[in-house]
Amino acid sequence: MRRLIRAAVILVVALGGRTLAEPAKEGVEADASTRQVAITSSFTGTEILVFGAVQNSVQPSPEAGTYDVIVVVEGMPAPVVVRKKSRVGGLWINTRSMRFASVPSYYAIASTRAVDEIADKAVLDAHAIGFHHVRMVPAAHSRTEATDPDELKSFKEALIRLKENERVYIKSDFGVSFIGRSLFRATIALPPNVPVGPLTAHVYLFKKGQMLGEYDSRVMLQREGVERYIHETAMSRPFLYGLVTVLLAAGSGLAAAFAFRKPA
Amino acid sequence: MTLYLPIAEMSVSVIVYLALGVSIGFLSGLFGVGGAFLLTPLLTFLGIPSAVAVATSASHVVASSVSGAVTHYRRGNVDIKMGLVMLGGSLAGTYLGVSAVKILRVAGYFELTVSLMYVIFLGVVGTIILVEGINASRQVHAGGGTATRKSGQHGWLEGLPFKMRFPRSKLYMSAVPPVIIGMFIGCMSAIMGIGGGFVLIPAMIYLLRMPTGLVVGTSLFQIVFAAAVATVLHAVENKTVDIVLALILIIGGVIGAQFGSTVGTKLRGEHLRVLLGAVVLLVAARMAFELVLPPDDVFSLATVAGAS
Repeated sequence: MRRLIRAAVILVVALGGRTLAEPAKEGVEADASTRQVAITSSFTGTEILVFGAVQNSVQPSPEAGTYDVIVVVEGMPAPVVVRKKSRVGGLWINTRSMRFASVPSYYAIASTRAVDEIADKAVLDAHAIGFHHVRMVPAAHSRTEATDPDELKSFKEALIRLKENERVYIKSDFGVSFIGRSLFRATIALPPNVPVGPLTAHVYLFKKGQMLGEYDSRVMLQREGVERYIHETAMSRPFLYGLVTVLLAAGSGLAAAFAFRKPA
Repeated sequence: MTLYLPIAEMSVSVIVYLALGVSIGFLSGLFGVGGAFLLTPLLTFLGIPSAVAVATSASHVVASSVSGAVTHYRRGNVDIKMGLVMLGGSLAGTYLGVSAVKILRVAGYFELTVSLMYVIFLGVVGTIILVEGINASRQVHAGGGTATRKSGQHGWLEGLPFKMRFPRSKLYMSAVPPVIIGMFIGCMSAIMGIGGGFVLIPAMIYLLRMPTGLVVGTSLFQIVFAAAVATVLHAVENKTVDIVLALILIIGGVIGAQFGSTVGTKLRGEHLRVLLGAVVLLVAARMAFELVLPPDDVFSLATVAGAS
């Protein structure tokens, strides 16, 4: 009897526990439409589709806005130098410069609304979400060290602005849209000058400023066909490559000279 | 029609670059200069990374100069001996120039040096060519031209050792001035990413006193080899030669060069000099404005530390 009661209590506690607790934990699953983007001689930029679903969604309709989704597609980090000109004796000369040891070569961000409305600074900083929250560390020994925080800020702002002008930093505040209670999608543009290399797609799920889940996926961006052959030759056999270029140049020049020869 | 450039890593319009190649080729055939002093700034202006622009221009110089050189050679306008002597100096100068570039990059003054050199050299040389050309055409029009070269006009150059005979140019002079001129041009070319014809030609006319008819052909002959060496050096050292871009520019360039050299033979030497002087001065003025006028954006990006 006592055993039975204990079993019943355990059962009640277990059942009660489940009904009283939050509904099943929400999470996110996502993927990119293309895992491989080939850069061939006809490459003029492309788009990739990042799509995913919220697990255990409690969102009543696509428009409800229960969840916020941020999609970030990032290129390989690379060092970059930002230079600033100023007037010296009537000439505009690069006087100050700051070297950043590692900055994403490509950074596209799409979200359901402005990222600063979705979560607070600490969360965005921690996950490096958004242009102003990406880690941009000045190199240990910048030539002209700009240690002043205001100056550091102006250099960072300039870096972001210039990268946006080059269209390798792209922001789309309403670029992610829900097409069902749980299904969402975003298109990310890869411009013609996208830096070649692997891309990482991060998908973050937020609800009321809290991050509920994150999902990562990779997209390979690589040269194919003739482009690949030329690039590999230029990098691994530069002398041969240079020689071929010269011979090609001299050959074309000579061919033209003979083709245009006048009967003298 | 667009094409993706494997080294510059961007997609470009073939027509635009073909047209650019034709125009540069035309000027190079007309004046006997490589044309890189125009091509390099224009490529950068169109968005090609400057390191790629400099290196790829060198290969364009090979193509446009070789067709010009052959055309002039066939007309008997090349002093091969003089060309080879200058080339010797030029190769040594290129080596010096490459070393100077490394030092300047480390010190962070590379860009400024290049801009200032463009302004100073193009400005001075352009003015000299222009003034000289205007004077020469005035003299011709006045009918009192003293076109004949007096022998023994070299002055202090007479005293230098290693005298050589240059039968084609009808000169008997020391090998030192041509070697030094070649060295200077080679050094300058490596730093500025140009062929150097616009400095070489006046130097050959006014310092070596070579017959004007031989100057263009001989300068092209020398530049072909210097630019070929520079292309290979850029490919090996910096890996910035874009063969696809080079090919587009070259196809345009060789066609333009043929028309240029045909037109060139129909124009008077003095008029050619006035035109060349004007073109060179225009480029110098543009560069100077860039240094003096407030830039659109005081900030700029460079992908690799020290890259121009």
